[in-house]
Amino acid sequence: MIPLLARRLLLTLPTLLGVLVVAFLLLNVAPGDPVTAMVGERADSATIARLRAELRLDDPLPTQFIHYVGAVVRGDLGRSYITQRPIAQDLRERFPRTAELALAAMTLAAVSGISLGVVSAVRPGGLVDRIGMLVSYVGVSFPVYWVGLLLILVFALALRWLPPSGSGGLAALVLPAVTLGMRSIAFLARMTRAAMLEVLSSDFIRTARAKGLPERAVVLRHGFRTALVPVITVLGLDTGNYLTGSVLTETIFGWPGLGRYVLTAIDKRDLPAIQGSILFMSVVFVVVNLVTDLLYAKADPRIAYD
Amino acid sequence: MRALPVTTLACLVVPAACGRGGNAGSARPPGHASLVYYETYDPRSLDPALSTDVPTGEMVALAYDGLTQFDPDGKLLPALADRWTISRGGGGGGGGGGGGSLRYVFHLRAGVRFHDGTRLTPAAVRQSMLRVLAPGTRGGRAWPLYPIAGTEAYAAGRASDVTGIQLLGDSAVAFDLAEPLAIFPKFLAMPVAAVVPAPLPPQADLGQHPVGTGPWRFVSWQHDDYLVFARNPDYWGGPPAADTLTVRIIPEPLTRAAEFEAGRLSVMEVPFGETTRWRQQHPDLLLEKPALRVVYVALNNRRGPLRDARVRQAINYAVNVPEVLASVYGGRGILARGAIPPGLAGSDTTRPGYHYDTVAAKRLLAAAGYGSGIALQLWRNTSNVELARVAQAVQAQLEPVGIKIELVERDASSQREAARKGETDMVVLDWWADYPDGDNFLYPLFYSGSVGPGGNYAFYVDPVTDSLILRARRTTDDAARSALYREIDARVYRAAPWLYLWFPTDLWAKRPDVRGWDVPVIFNGQHWTGARRAP
Repeated sequence: MIPLLARRLLLTLPTLLGVLVVAFLLLNVAPGDPVTAMVGERADSATIARLRAELRLDDPLPTQFIHYVGAVVRGDLGRSYITQRPIAQDLRERFPRTAELALAAMTLAAVSGISLGVVSAVRPGGLVDRIGMLVSYVGVSFPVYWVGLLLILVFALALRWLPPSGSGGLAALVLPAVTLGMRSIAFLARMTRAAMLEVLSSDFIRTARAKGLPERAVVLRHGFRTALVPVITVLGLDTGNYLTGSVLTETIFGWPGLGRYVLTAIDKRDLPAIQGSILFMSVVFVVVNLVTDLLYAKADPRIAYD
Repeated sequence: MRALPVTTLACLVVPAACGRGGNAGSARPPGHASLVYYETYDPRSLDPALSTDVPTGEMVALAYDGLTQFDPDGKLLPALADRWTISRGGGGGGGGGGGGSLRYVFHLRAGVRFHDGTRLTPAAVRQSMLRVLAPGTRGGRAWPLYPIAGTEAYAAGRASDVTGIQLLGDSAVAFDLAEPLAIFPKFLAMPVAAVVPAPLPPQADLGQHPVGTGPWRFVSWQHDDYLVFARNPDYWGGPPAADTLTVRIIPEPLTRAAEFEAGRLSVMEVPFGETTRWRQQHPDLLLEKPALRVVYVALNNRRGPLRDARVRQAINYAVNVPEVLASVYGGRGILARGAIPPGLAGSDTTRPGYHYDTVAAKRLLAAAGYGSGIALQLWRNTSNVELARVAQAVQAQLEPVGIKIELVERDASSQREAARKGETDMVVLDWWADYPDGDNFLYPLFYSGSVGPGGNYAFYVDPVTDSLILRARRTTDDAARSALYREIDARVYRAAPWLYLWFPTDLWAKRPDVRGWDVPVIFNGQHWTGARRAP
């Protein structure tokens, strides 16, 4: 296990360097100038030229890149051009909020989505299956902002049960978590159902039934565990996505997470903030993927890493 | 994101959600002594030197003061200086250039203290300005201080000191201007000219922990979430009526509306797309005021067919502006017959001018040699939904007269960069006042020295206009200056460097229990000192 971890972690280094190169190049060929956002709507050319020089934006690209990577290696993500705050501190503030929302959404999605999928698969074509698949169909199809605004109208304005937006406290977490988790619930339900249906028709399940195991044990211990692998894939992908911020949900609910941070940074061409965020998100993704891989082996003994 | 259909559909599903929710209980009502305002995005910083955008400027205006200030109606009032005097031909003036210079002496209000207890001194005023100008501050918006002699050289690192700021004893500070500038006291009311304590401790971080003399003391800031301010009991203008002011960051307009309807915001600007619904459902909550803002399409006077004034005039005749205003802006605006908004001296909204006349448009195009039609690009950006719709409407209106418009959609930063470089044929824009004066709608927008980054995105250059603008800036007599503004505005209007659209009207909703708050015409004109909630 330990050598595996070490090898995988070592392999991430070239990945992250690749991310840095691509992000740096893309940002530098994209139109838009960070100094434009710094100076605001009315500026003079002398100020713009001076700021560009101070920020070394006129240096040749390779020089800029080496300078940036040198700082990153020393653990310094730099300061935002716009706010002048250290990027690392900004990320430290935003990530716990994003993680809180992601955790809530994933817990909700895993519990309800997987349950729905298993129950539907037990009696395919039955009432529960039909309703479950209709719900998941709706969940997959409806755009996030539509769901979010509808939830605000119903639960915050009409019923007054929950605050419309903001963060802090369990009440404020409910609507954004449901909005964010909705698609995962639906997707997981369909995924679990499909995987379960396939497993439940296989030979070893027939054997399990034939040797007289109760149906509950057949479905959960034998069937579900085998069907878990594709479900873990979806869980891993969605967790990675949610942990790197969710622009729409965070914007609708005024949630102070990574997604909005990156969006603002892109909007203002705040290069250090964008690069720092991309690097941080890549690390999160790599870690989540690693954990997912390890979980595969746990779920299915046939999968082994050596 | 389409705002209206979502709401409409939701109203069908949940009628109660769209009913009169005004007097129902709120989910978490703030106390009587607390007020809640909002910004659409996190302020850049709370350091006056970095105040280049509206959220930052509004927050700086709460915690700090300048020597002068604006009230909600845009009137210039004394602030840290209780009076000022002007004399011609003052001393100093590194870039003075002879006897044409002008000296302003600002007398500081006695007994004013910063939130940390230190006294306001003329040295603090001087240090505050040097701080904004110093290379390395990277604020990017020092131009309001450039009229002071020697400031530009200091900012560029060519001089070690600013000659034009002199301390007069311990109660006054003198500014020697390189050239007379009648509106200079208005420049000092801008957030970037706010006064900070001096000397600042080396560890001071005004961006995160502001220390000013303003009516509100900083309490806390959760980025992208909220800021909290508490009343300054020692405020020189008398302590604010409310105890606390929370400023929440709420990017989505429909969420803001929901927060307001749930009673969790004291005031809210009504989204343009929601104008009709609010006028029908909450007429008693609404406050309306013409804004110091103009919506227009900059026509690049240096590019292709747009070089010909007749083509630009034809565009002004070809568009049915009242119809676009009604359909896209909910009728919230006054037709623009110039660039200076109503409410400012020099404005003239009754000037005879272009009206919807496709025959005249076609005639002008034919006279310019484009009878067979032209093709142009119109740029719009993705972050301003209303302006993007304006662009679409303009495209549709120009088609019948033979002007084929290709819409180019970019994010705001890319669009601004292209416009500044003069790479756009036409670009739909709005211009917000930095200071309430006609000059703010002429010098940046039409002076030849302002082309590109300075704000003149039409690349309009006319030596006569230039000399008139400079003359107006030097004219200290208000009536004479207004007359000059009017003359300049009329002259530019005839040349049609823009497609003139309208001056928007601000529409705000105010909770019924909020008193003492009025819509500010200028972003930093509302200091929240008189606002309170009725018990």
